[in-house]
Amino acid sequence: MGAPDEIIHQQVRLRIMATLNALKDGERIEFTRMKAILEATDGNLGAHLATLENAGYVAVEKDFVAKKPRTRLAMTRAGRKAFTNHVAYLRDILDGTAPEEKTSGARQ
Amino acid sequence: MSVSRQDAAAALRDIEDTQARSVTLREYQHAAPHFLIWGVIWAVGYGLSDVFPRQANAVWAALVPIGLVAGFFVSRGRKPANGLRYGASALALFVFIAATFFVMAPVGGRQIGAFIPLFVALIYVLRGIWGGSRYVVAGVAIAALTLGGFVFLRSHF
Repeated sequence: MGAPDEIIHQQVRLRIMATLNALKDGERIEFTRMKAILEATDGNLGAHLATLENAGYVAVEKDFVAKKPRTRLAMTRAGRKAFTNHVAYLRDILDGTAPEEKTSGARQ
Repeated sequence: MSVSRQDAAAALRDIEDTQARSVTLREYQHAAPHFLIWGVIWAVGYGLSDVFPRQANAVWAALVPIGLVAGFFVSRGRKPANGLRYGASALALFVFIAATFFVMAPVGGRQIGAFIPLFVALIYVLRGIWGGSRYVVAGVAIAALTLGGFVFLRSHF
């Protein structure tokens, strides 16, 4: 049975990883599009992306297009593996094959 | 750290909802250029047809291929196979509309002018019912404007 990933389990970061997981291999998503999907602020999204990038789960690429800055995001291989393991852990809890905390955990 | 059953279920729902929203917004992004192309085509087409009613057939004969070519290249830009799908879809629409007018003949210019946007409106609404409420809004708006023009702007329709 798997173990929870504390970095991924936070609500905004979980949604970031869910969005990136839906992309095909090699595909990237722009920061502005991620913001629209999650309905997050620049600061909030930026902070959580930094956490995921520091953990090695997300790759952040910055460049310029027609002199405008562009930030694109993609999940790393390590991130995909960590997300897959975390989802498997969550499913194991529902299936009853993983130990659960009886009281509700904090997912702020 | 361990997670309660309740939290696990909520997290999995969150993942599903986020991925569904991501897919929907991505489809809107891909559909947007087509909405723009055909919005401009229809605005120019109906406007010119109103000002030059005798040249209406020539106006549409010129504008529709422009829209089709533009739509083909927009679709193809994302994925080459999509260009062929776009062309095939346009052909299917054309054949259906031609067959309908043949079966329902005789039809006048007003009926033709109303039927096509109403049919497009139906496609948008059906598409939206299965995912993408913005399509429903667009479809209802097109249908309402078409019917409104047909009934209240008879001299221009």
